[in-house]
Amino acid sequence: MAVDMAMPILVVDDYKTMIRIIRNLLKQLGFDNVDEAADGQEALQKMQGGSRFGLVISDWNMEPMTGYELLKQVRGDDKLKGTPFIMITAESKTENVIAAKRAGVNNYIVKPFNAATLKAKMASVIGDF
Amino acid sequence: MPATNVAIRIREALNDIRAADLNDPRLMEVLGLAENLVESMKLFFSSLDTSIHSEFRHIALYIARTRDEIAALRPNDIRESRLPTAGAELEAVVNDTEKATETIMSIAENILALQPDSLEHYKAQVDEKMMSMIEACSFQDITGQRVSKVVSTLTHIEERVSRFSSVMGVLDAAEEDDEKEQWRKDNMLNGPQIDGPATGQDAIDALFDGDISDEQLGQDAIDDLFD
Repeated sequence: MAVDMAMPILVVDDYKTMIRIIRNLLKQLGFDNVDEAADGQEALQKMQGGSRFGLVISDWNMEPMTGYELLKQVRGDDKLKGTPFIMITAESKTENVIAAKRAGVNNYIVKPFNAATLKAKMASVIGDF
Repeated sequence: MPATNVAIRIREALNDIRAADLNDPRLMEVLGLAENLVESMKLFFSSLDTSIHSEFRHIALYIARTRDEIAALRPNDIRESRLPTAGAELEAVVNDTEKATETIMSIAENILALQPDSLEHYKAQVDEKMMSMIEACSFQDITGQRVSKVVSTLTHIEERVSRFSSVMGVLDAAEEDDEKEQWRKDNMLNGPQIDGPATGQDAIDALFDGDISDEQLGQDAIDDLFD
């Protein structure tokens, strides 16, 4: 099935610059429909408030709710649990990667990263585009 | 009645009795024993006074030395001058990098949005914007100097604390995590690693591609350390 290039994507990061970078990369990849949240709590409120996203791209280290906690909440919510979820984070210890995988993350990108990596991981999760 | 007064009274009583020339041997024996007891107690208490005095003197000297060492730390200078200055420098680093990033990002976005009418015009615009981008990168010189100043402050504090700890023979108490620190641990907030990611993207990819197990991921990362 062809990837819907108009699907809404939620980018979650407490650094506005990182959100801007990811937005630019997504735009270059052909994805223009991008929403953002500054932390896990704001993201969860958007998702539980009715907004449906084809993909969530989230940082880990945020307050008051981390990306890890957001992932667990999403996977624990019957309406949201199928949402594709990619973690993009500076948290690179094996305990983090394994914990995220066991919590149900679809893929994991360590910072710093490049456009090719983002494209490859997105393709592995939502399909080739 | 104070002990010294008791000793005096017993001695007076003994002298009175001796002066009265009583010849009861049992009475004289009891009085002799009492006199010996008083002498022993007197020796004991005088040695106790000396010992207590010596202990208190030792404690007073230790307190005075501790105070001198704390003064040598210059804690007021650290609290009122060095740490606030270091904090201000780091804040300036954040501001400088934010401004530079904003400039570079804006230039990149402008270039991406260019609608050139000719190749020459396009090249001229790109060249001009690239020069602006290169100029923006000069922030690194300033931020580098600011960070060096902060490192210098931290080194200064570290040296003084180390000296104090060494001179006073201080051992660390058990660490107590406050609520925030416990939250950070529970959420595995380790932050960026000094020499780059602890787990490489390749190893992570192998895990998500099913090429390796969770246990192997841990071992691979350890192996990488030894390669």
